[in-house]
Amino acid sequence: MRFKIRRFDGERSYWQEFDVPVKRGMTVLEALYYIKENLDPTLSFRASCRMGVCGSCAVRINGKPRLACETQVSKLKEPVKIEPLKNFNVIRDLVTDFEGFFKKHEIVKPYLIRKSEGEIRQTPEQLKRYYIYTLCIKCGACMSACPVAKNCLGPMPVVSAYRFNEDSRDEGKEERLKILSDHIWHCHFVAECSEVCPKDLNPAEVIQKLRLEVLKFSMRW
Amino acid sequence: MSFHNVFAVLMKFDVVIVGAGLAGMRAAIAIAEKNSRVSIAIIAKTYPIRCHSVCAEGGTAAVLDENDSFDLHAWDTIKGSDFLADQDAVEFFVRECPKEILTLDAWGCPWSRTPDGRIAQRPFGGHSFNRTVFAMDRTGFHEVHTLYERMLMFPNIERFNEFFLTNLIVEDNTVKGVTAIDLKTGELVLFEAKAVILATGGAGRIYGFTTYSHTVTGDGMAVAYRCGVPLKDMEFFQFHPTGLVPSGILMTEACRGEGGYLLNKNGERFMKKYAPERMELAPRDVVARAMWREIIEGRGLEGDYGPYIALDLTHLGEEKIEERLPLIRETAMKFAGIDPVEEPIPVKPVAHYTMGGIHTNVNCETPIKGLFACGEVACISIHGANRLGSNSTAECLVFGRVAGERALEYVLKRDFKSVSRKEFEREESRIFDELLGRSGDESPYAIKRELNETMDKNLWIFREEKGMKEAVKKIRELKERYKNVEIVDKHRGFNTDLIQTLEIGYMLDLAEVVAICALLRKESRGAHYRLDYPKRDDENWLKHSLAYKTADGVKVDYLPVTITKWKPTERRY
Amino acid sequence: MPSLNTIAFYLHRITGVILAIYLCMHLGFLTTVKTGEYSSLIKVTLSRQFLPFDLMLFLIGIYHGVNGIRLIIHEFGFLYRHRKILLYLTFIITAVLWVVVAWEVVM
Repeated sequence: MRFKIRRFDGERSYWQEFDVPVKRGMTVLEALYYIKENLDPTLSFRASCRMGVCGSCAVRINGKPRLACETQVSKLKEPVKIEPLKNFNVIRDLVTDFEGFFKKHEIVKPYLIRKSEGEIRQTPEQLKRYYIYTLCIKCGACMSACPVAKNCLGPMPVVSAYRFNEDSRDEGKEERLKILSDHIWHCHFVAECSEVCPKDLNPAEVIQKLRLEVLKFSMRW
Repeated sequence: MSFHNVFAVLMKFDVVIVGAGLAGMRAAIAIAEKNSRVSIAIIAKTYPIRCHSVCAEGGTAAVLDENDSFDLHAWDTIKGSDFLADQDAVEFFVRECPKEILTLDAWGCPWSRTPDGRIAQRPFGGHSFNRTVFAMDRTGFHEVHTLYERMLMFPNIERFNEFFLTNLIVEDNTVKGVTAIDLKTGELVLFEAKAVILATGGAGRIYGFTTYSHTVTGDGMAVAYRCGVPLKDMEFFQFHPTGLVPSGILMTEACRGEGGYLLNKNGERFMKKYAPERMELAPRDVVARAMWREIIEGRGLEGDYGPYIALDLTHLGEEKIEERLPLIRETAMKFAGIDPVEEPIPVKPVAHYTMGGIHTNVNCETPIKGLFACGEVACISIHGANRLGSNSTAECLVFGRVAGERALEYVLKRDFKSVSRKEFEREESRIFDELLGRSGDESPYAIKRELNETMDKNLWIFREEKGMKEAVKKIRELKERYKNVEIVDKHRGFNTDLIQTLEIGYMLDLAEVVAICALLRKESRGAHYRLDYPKRDDENWLKHSLAYKTADGVKVDYLPVTITKWKPTERRY
Repeated sequence: MPSLNTIAFYLHRITGVILAIYLCMHLGFLTTVKTGEYSSLIKVTLSRQFLPFDLMLFLIGIYHGVNGIRLIIHEFGFLYRHRKILLYLTFIITAVLWVVVAWEVVM
């Protein structure tokens, strides 16, 4: 199977083609490793857990940001085009700079803010309210798909903020809403983030829900 | 090509933590919470939330229920360890576990709950009480994210993401700092430190069929070993009974904890022959051996990738699987095309955990002053010859904190010792001139492939003298060939070719230690099972092995096991 | 090929810009009432040759309006689960409205 990979060596960027023998059940990540170990050791990409929980290997596959480790090669159209994520600066080949991404995450105070002490109880129903939003693996797919993320917070940090706001143990909702009031209005509801999220978190919905809450909060309803 | 004109970057921190997984981050937070003036650097070759700890699934053991007891947890752990664990360390460990669970609760970990809002607990292999605290089947993932998020609150923790450890700087048996490659720029960076905490995890990628992430290559272990720190009990490598065929992705023990069966090709629950009482929930070494025996004796199911055992969850029903094991379902569907609600999952024993590691005492101190180790990289030892499921994440949390606290005490009484420019230049030249600059005719990846094959064949679940001797010979041959590798990629920025070659060098050293220690231990204990010595031999072998690096190769010494209350008995499940 | 979401987004922006330019021109146009040139200008724009421009303007205005309503609905957190249907509906409603209006004008 033919792979077209977008290369960048620090100065020059170009397309390079590779032919990879495909086995049943092979993933794009395995194909990348095959290329690195057998065809061109200079190919750089990130990978770690290879089971879709660490979030290292998000790249654009045939134009769509996805996790390389959980994308089956057999389901793709040939030639398979692999490019680095959009809205990130490319360091080398498929490796992009995530420093800014994690800085954005920090802005929303993504941690439990809690002044009270003592035993904590949380019912399964309370857990359910926010649990799905804890599943964000911070792979950057949503940021790549969003047409405006380069100039604003982007979907990922908003999901993080929402996750803590909805947690019954948290006492920092107001602080976060105050911060979000400066950031949340950039969204144009393209909803592309929800389309590409490998964990199906619907960031677009979360952003709209938070907008209403920020509005209520700023008007002190 | 010359690499000499690179400007040496120097950083100075009171404590440098290498590795940003559960243990490393727990240590960083422990220090920062107690003292806001101590400067802490946490360096890791991945971003913190990309660490291998996120792959931990099943849970974290802790005594929370009033009907459970510390003694029972300690006894389960010691019996599980086949009596090789140091009992004083285990007693300390079990008492600290519950505190960590509650701490993480207050930091936002989404523990699974009982209907009245308490933290839920599930049964696990080798534990005689339901004491495994869990967050669905993504426990490690949630713990890592909770710690990472918590870490953001402390301004004195500085994170150095994507820095690859190359060496420790040790003089007069005291650590003075570490050197690491900044992946982004490709420069070697010197971190001067009063204390160094190693938390770099296990060495699992020496095996081919493994649950480990691609990044788990035993860097910290190998670097410490090269600096003269002994590695303890390296022959004990845990094989997890249920790795997904063919990728080796972990199918958590919680599958069995929640009631899953292991079936052979006749559809029988063969565990009744091997562990009539505990059945599927016997410790991992027992279950893995039983499965391997079934496969060898021809009672495995036949698939495209050779024989396997069926992990049957179908009787649990969709609701329970979705509620308790959603990740297992997602992974089985994505990577094997099988929905566990409808059909059994194909599994096989798989290399999973490094029981051995850097020799430390219960305070996480290594024989080198100022050097601490915690988590999987260390061997304290609470796991002995076989770790119980859900004790590893607990270990990372408990001993991460201990390492942090001890390191803090240590640095408050110390001054910086300067590192000579020469030492730094020597390291620079070793990596960039000797390794990157060299031409040769060996591919590092071919060496790694052969190493994996050797380990999978000769140091697997059933071991014997002949195979292990072959492995030692093969590994030594690979080490010779490694001297002749060529790194094709000559760029400096994000050179993963260079990094992986360095990793393979680390793995070769560690594989040699594993093979030699295994060859020397002439008994069967826990995960180390020898066909030629199938019995445990307490008279001669109730002791830890300590492997030192010397000029003429690996030297193995022995250390007695600490026994407090529990005398070794026969192990039945 | 960009997805329909992205197309809708870019169309919304482009039509918005065009409408803004149109609005400026329109206001400029109105100021000519004072100077007396208005009646000669209005004659030009009411001519048959100008009709295609008018029709385009209707299309642009209708799309921007209908899509705007869709966005407002979502921004208040409603009907999120049906976002795909709403997206298709936006295009369908735009087309239908435009045909009706164009029919009225042309006839």
